[in-house]
Amino acid sequence: MAAHEKPDLPAHRNLFRMILAPTIWAIHFLLAYCTAAIWCAKDLGDPDTLTLVVTGYTVAAEVAIVFLGLKMWTQWDYLDDYDYVHSESTDEHRREFLGHAGFMLACLSFVAVIFNTMPVWFAGTCL
Amino acid sequence: MRPLVLPAAAILAIALAGCRGPQSALDPAGADASSLASLFWVMLAGAVVLWLLMNGLIFYAWRAKPRPISSKAARILIFGGGVVFPTFVLFFLLAYGLSMMPDQRAPGEGLRVEVTGEQWWFRVAYWPEGASEPIHSANEIVLPVGVRSEITLKADQVIHSFWLPSIAGKTDMFPGRVTRMSLLPTEPGEFRGQCAEFCGESHAWMAFTARTMTPDDFAAWVEAEAAPAAVPETDLQARGLDVFLSEGCGGCHAIRGTPARGRVGPDLTHLASRGNLAAGALKVTVPDLIAWISHPEAIKPGAKMPAFDHLPREDIAAMAAYLESLE
Amino acid sequence: MTDAPRIGDTSARRDLEKHEVRVAEGTYPPTEEMLSAPIDPEESRATADRLLKAWYAPQGWRYWSAVNNSEVGLWYALTSFVFMLMAGGLALVMRLQLAVPDNDLISADRFNQFFTMHGSAMMFLFAVPMFEAISILLLPAFLGARDMPFPRLSAYGFWAFLIGGVFIMGSLLFGAAPAAGWFMYPPLSTIDEGVGPDIWLLGLSFIEVASIAAAVELIVGTIKCRPPGMRINLMPLYAWYVLVVGVMILFAFPPLIAGDFLFELQRSFDWPFFDPARGGDPLLWQHLFWIFGHPEVYIVFLPSIAVAAMIVPAAAQRPMVGYNWIVLSAVGTGFLSFGLWVHHMFTTGLPTISLGFFSAASEAVVIPTGIQLFAFVATLLAGRVKMILPMLWIAGALAIFTAGGLTGVMVALAPFDWQVHDSYFIVAHLHYTLFGGMVFPLIGGIYFFYPFIRKQRMSERLGRISFWLTFVGFNLTFLPMHLTGLLGMPRRVYTYPAGVGWDDLNMLSTIGAFVIASGILVFAWDLVRPKGDEMKERNPWGAGDLMWAHDIPDKFWGVRSIPYVTSRNPLWDQPGIVERMDAGGYYLPDAQEGLRETIVTSAIDAQPQFVARITGPAWCTMWAAAFTGGAFILPVFHMYIPAMICAVLATACVIYWLWTSTALIPEHPMKDVGMGLQLPTYVSGPSAPGWWGVFITMLGDMTAFASLIFGVFFYWTASEQFPPPLAEHADGALVLASAVLYGAAWGATRVARPLNRDGQVALAQVLLAGGALAAALGAGALVWSILHLDPTSHVYPAILYAIAVWTAVHTIPGIIMQFYCLAGTIFGKIRPTYDAPIWNTVLFWHFLLVTALVAAFTIGALPGML
Repeated sequence: MAAHEKPDLPAHRNLFRMILAPTIWAIHFLLAYCTAAIWCAKDLGDPDTLTLVVTGYTVAAEVAIVFLGLKMWTQWDYLDDYDYVHSESTDEHRREFLGHAGFMLACLSFVAVIFNTMPVWFAGTCL
Repeated sequence: MRPLVLPAAAILAIALAGCRGPQSALDPAGADASSLASLFWVMLAGAVVLWLLMNGLIFYAWRAKPRPISSKAARILIFGGGVVFPTFVLFFLLAYGLSMMPDQRAPGEGLRVEVTGEQWWFRVAYWPEGASEPIHSANEIVLPVGVRSEITLKADQVIHSFWLPSIAGKTDMFPGRVTRMSLLPTEPGEFRGQCAEFCGESHAWMAFTARTMTPDDFAAWVEAEAAPAAVPETDLQARGLDVFLSEGCGGCHAIRGTPARGRVGPDLTHLASRGNLAAGALKVTVPDLIAWISHPEAIKPGAKMPAFDHLPREDIAAMAAYLESLE
Repeated sequence: MTDAPRIGDTSARRDLEKHEVRVAEGTYPPTEEMLSAPIDPEESRATADRLLKAWYAPQGWRYWSAVNNSEVGLWYALTSFVFMLMAGGLALVMRLQLAVPDNDLISADRFNQFFTMHGSAMMFLFAVPMFEAISILLLPAFLGARDMPFPRLSAYGFWAFLIGGVFIMGSLLFGAAPAAGWFMYPPLSTIDEGVGPDIWLLGLSFIEVASIAAAVELIVGTIKCRPPGMRINLMPLYAWYVLVVGVMILFAFPPLIAGDFLFELQRSFDWPFFDPARGGDPLLWQHLFWIFGHPEVYIVFLPSIAVAAMIVPAAAQRPMVGYNWIVLSAVGTGFLSFGLWVHHMFTTGLPTISLGFFSAASEAVVIPTGIQLFAFVATLLAGRVKMILPMLWIAGALAIFTAGGLTGVMVALAPFDWQVHDSYFIVAHLHYTLFGGMVFPLIGGIYFFYPFIRKQRMSERLGRISFWLTFVGFNLTFLPMHLTGLLGMPRRVYTYPAGVGWDDLNMLSTIGAFVIASGILVFAWDLVRPKGDEMKERNPWGAGDLMWAHDIPDKFWGVRSIPYVTSRNPLWDQPGIVERMDAGGYYLPDAQEGLRETIVTSAIDAQPQFVARITGPAWCTMWAAAFTGGAFILPVFHMYIPAMICAVLATACVIYWLWTSTALIPEHPMKDVGMGLQLPTYVSGPSAPGWWGVFITMLGDMTAFASLIFGVFFYWTASEQFPPPLAEHADGALVLASAVLYGAAWGATRVARPLNRDGQVALAQVLLAGGALAAALGAGALVWSILHLDPTSHVYPAILYAIAVWTAVHTIPGIIMQFYCLAGTIFGKIRPTYDAPIWNTVLFWHFLLVTALVAAFTIGALPGML
């Protein structure tokens, strides 16, 4: 059992950490939408540049999401005991549960950010 | 297998026949409507398969009472069915759908039609290429086949939506904002379109007819439409024009070639060549015209046109006869 | 949201004790010996009597002053069920009108009133309130809590809902109901000369306030009122959904409230927010409406899925597979659902690329929903399915909902939506999602939970008849509608011509609608019919969660003692827990002081933090709701003075209610709650539910304010000329003065808190009074800075006015709270160590300061930059 005694830090007791990745999705979404809306309304130039700008947001967002995902992966600590089920009232299970859910939210956010970049690739016009 | 082929073909034929209609998105006569109909059939097939799979599994668990699967298998099912599969399917579907949009909204070439939503009818102005002033009409859209025409959309008081399902999807019409779309008919024919955004009491009676024709026919039509109205040929029709003018109908309606120049209501210059009266509520026949002139409110609740039932029946009949002659 | 210091964490405790803050003492978690110690039956009986007396709901006519969640939740649910039946009745009349072409059964205007009210009532009077009602009824039981944290707030919300609902539905009887659609698009609704739009706006704003109140209650309930030991990874899935949905309400409803605010200013004072002739834009309303409207769909759907998530394990007789996945899915859906709103506006002619973003998010949200559904399928496959009646309804729900979800994937593609938008295809799609995602799970849930609520069973036979009638009728009605829509029939038409190919399909739908109605009536009869004897068993479905330990309805206390929980399914995994709970062998088995108490625990690990004294029966909540109703309803008839009097009286009622029943100074600072644990009886700041209540409410309020600021940017992007080149601007010096005064008011309030804690009460009092004065002056300066502009001339001055009015109106509660604290320190309600109201006031002022500074910036500086 001693091998499983991992430190339980305040960050591991933090619900907001779990939802950071989807928050990044939300920020990326709003930024992309606002940039495109202003770009089209104020005629800021060539749509190809817009494609580059939004793809740039995407790269930045994905880097942040991957970073967070790795943090959550560590918190989940899957390779430690290959544990998917966290149904006990212990620090370890709570910590790994939040890690697992946070990790999966990061994966979902990763896919959602890709989805939200597809419009500039496939439909990048103001018409 | 063979005995099944015939009934299956028959069912399919009935089903496809059920998709036909003057206002059907599944009976396309335009480039955009065709690609959307294809998109629909593809998505429908996929949806049916997925629905059967998902509910089949539940049904199987319920009825067949199989040996419970392991937790691991259950997790693989969630991961495969809930994550991997939808992510890939949706990725490709989204790419397909998104890439359709720029084509469907491509700028038109040549003809531009300006359609304004009124309560409750469509004001239409044709701007053929190079025209310096428009040809006014109402409640009917005529378009050439094989050319993408630009449609400019406006509205007067409230929001409406311009929808001609056989040719393409819809776009809303706003007061104080100009929206646009473009239409590429591929087959000549007659169709029906309708306002799709709730716009008040008689929203149900805000429709229009549409005709698509070969570019040659269209050129001929433009010439005829630009011409002034037919001159009354019979005494009855002449009396009808007199009543029309003396009752002040010209304050709201225009009939080119006569002193009637009103722009509040629909232009009536070629009323009888249009497939409908009162934005799809009636046909251009003498009885319908009489009914409309006498009691517009009874046919279209909230209609702005006043009732003329105080006129002698003969006067109304004469007006109807005149208007019915405006080919 | 990190947890407070834990029991036994000495350094943090010393830090707190320096400030004379009391924290839990004693043994936690309880030892094995404590959990198996014998209980003296004699003592157990005595404590049970005292406890029951404290929680007894009033009898006779005083019954209606009850605030117990078991009563309020039930009234709430029944009321919204009655509204559902009414709205369904409207649908039947509409279906009769549409059965044949060119029908004249009802007039166009009446038809328009009916479909407007059908949509509005189903959404605002049924779907959302029903979720809140059921959650108020069930959540405390799921969490082993005695009641919700703010019972009087629930009661207030219910009475507000009842008054608002009756007012709105009543307008149908006078033929004066709103008739511009449940989405109330301007300019159609702003140029309407009747009172319909005002009834809709003010009536529903009132109900939205009630919804937000319930959301605050449910969020705080979920994070602060769990039983000791129920860490966040053990929470019943139902509670997870309630948490997610509560937060969603908090961010979804306020934009609509902001929209309503602008809308009513235009209707009443002709400020042209949506009038294109004067720079306004009707599209702004559509944005605000749908930023609310799409999350709303998930706000309706998630709680019903939560009900399904409780029934599926009971049917499969095993714990849910993929608990973590479902949590991910609920949270993920909650987020993504805020990126979908423009898919209701795909045809508004926005740039292609903008539509693309919303198409993409609309497809992305399918992924978490799919995970959700596959988790159910996997659980069923991993268990041995017993087709109990509630599960039959859930299976029907899944069949219908997946079909609706798949058509949802179709309409999420913007180009396909261009065809089917506002056609009967959408009518079919939305009813598939809402019937499958709300009505079927709800009815399944009622069959499932009825034994908990009434200790009787509903009829298995009637339940099956009702199911098959509803299921077949539903598909008969709505399956053909997909085709009707593709054949070109638009929505919201009161009739249609023959010969377009819609006749037979419409007749079929009408017949189907009456089959649904017969199914719902069978269910309604089963619900209300007399059902004979009480049942003996408590847990008829053999479920594992805490609620089935309960002995409702005759025991008003909720739980005899609050258990220590170590499992997700305590009834399966913790043998003897029910007997021990019943015997009073866990926490808080007694009510020595005759007060209603429940345990408040920490947000993540559910460590016991303190004993909350919660409020009992009262009439003041009902009066507060009635006067709030007056304040919202009277302006419909332009009775502004009586409305203001009502607002003042409502405020007085609320102040009376807070003063007499919240943050009462306890007779002793600590209390023994059993099993060797002593808990404080008073806390202030972030440990207190009240503080969380203020925090959460103000998050919602900030969202509404942000929507107003969004409006400014929206006008800027939508128009070439915003602000107009020759426009007059606000007086910069006054705006600056206002910002400084607000800063001073905030600073004074903030400093007063530690001063009071240190015993320098007189100085704190001076600061509170001075802060109130500065706040009043600040609000005055802000309004004065724009007084020379004419808000009816153009949207630019109008939006500045709106922001200033918003800020000034928010200053009023800020000042009232400062005076409340001042009075508290004078009359002994607040003492240096008992200072919760000051904490809450300071928290409110943090938000008010942000509002004021952003308002000052937007009014004074921003126009120069745009």
